[in-house]
Amino acid sequence: MNKFRLFKTGWWILHVVAIIFFFWLGHAVQL
Amino acid sequence: MSTRTYIKTLLIVALTALSIGGLILHIKIHPFMKYSYGFVPYVSCLLSIALIPCLLSFRKTLDYGYVLNGMLVIIGTITMTHFSIIHWPKTISLEAVLMDTTLADVTILWAKFFIGKAIFDLEIYGYRTDQLKSGISWRYPHLGWWMIHLVVISIVYGLGSLAWR
Repeated sequence: MNKFRLFKTGWWILHVVAIIFFFWLGHAVQL
Repeated sequence: MSTRTYIKTLLIVALTALSIGGLILHIKIHPFMKYSYGFVPYVSCLLSIALIPCLLSFRKTLDYGYVLNGMLVIIGTITMTHFSIIHWPKTISLEAVLMDTTLADVTILWAKFFIGKAIFDLEIYGYRTDQLKSGISWRYPHLGWWMIHLVVISIVYGLGSLAWR
């Protein structure tokens, strides 16, 4: 896998993980 | 020691000091592990104290430190603003907004962001006085990119809060 494809794959994985995390955080923080 | 190393060290010490202050404040305000999300402020503070200064110290890991620092500031801003919205003062006045909300905490947190940005910019753009800022403002690593992330993360967090109860 070349460097650009690796970066693109990493970018997508990072954003999906981040969206799941922030969605969970919004659910978990019930003040 | 060169001026460059000296200024960078001062800024990293400032960032670490702010983070230690934040950790102590969190310990004072709410107990650890009382809620499922309780680990978030403590992990954020510990990362800010132990990891981010190390990442910002080296050119190879500078971007990671810069992004992590900014993301932790965004998490803190959103969660503390959420707290203020839920515990909004009964009477709305300038004094109430200043004293009874988390506005002060959020403002201090953004100081941490700008210290991180100063370290990053000094390293990237250098210390030359004739260097002009360039690049598209909404692209990484400029402030517009951070504003977009603040807005989008707020929306995702808000959806998680409202849609998944």
